[in-house]
Amino acid sequence: MKNNIRVERAIKNITQGELAEQIGVSRQTINAIESNKYVPSTILALKIAGVFGKQLEHIFTLEEGD
Amino acid sequence: MKPYFLFPYWCHYLGWGLVLLHIPVTMFGKAHGMINIIDNGPASSGLFNGEHLFFICTSLLMVSGLFLVAFAKEKVEDEQIWQIRLDSLRWAIYLNYLILIISLVFIEDTGHILELNLWVPLVFFVIRFRWVIFRLNRSLSRES
Repeated sequence: MKNNIRVERAIKNITQGELAEQIGVSRQTINAIESNKYVPSTILALKIAGVFGKQLEHIFTLEEGD
Repeated sequence: MKPYFLFPYWCHYLGWGLVLLHIPVTMFGKAHGMINIIDNGPASSGLFNGEHLFFICTSLLMVSGLFLVAFAKEKVEDEQIWQIRLDSLRWAIYLNYLILIISLVFIEDTGHILELNLWVPLVFFVIRFRWVIFRLNRSLSRES
């Protein structure tokens, strides 16, 4: 699953640490999600989408083979 | 995230303290013939003889220490940490049973096999869990 959290963060001008703090996870988790090393749960994905005020599908997209 | 039971973060330090304490206690006990001193008491044979009591004391120190280290919360306990925890636990159980099965087939001394079973899962769990966390932190510092 791909995501454009890095782009959305740049638009909103917030750091990984600030995003992590807002949704109550560690900075390592945000970094792992951005690098596509970790697929978040639905709850966490919804929280991330909520911070950016976007639909879930706008942030996360399925890749071929998912 | 659901609140699963884990020990507080400070238990890491207590756990490592107990594990480290176990080493000098074992060495001191063996070097100064502690086992023989206890053995001179009234209960010198049977279940709670000197050797057995000494084994209980040292094993309790080590196992309770490892248990606290393994199951203490991280500073930020989130779903990724939880997944790494479960994954490490799975690998620890695989390895433990692999060693157990191999030992049962090739080693005659069953007492020591069970003793091994006492600490292999916890030690391997701690090593694997810490290693994955270390790699996560390293990739984070590389990117920033």
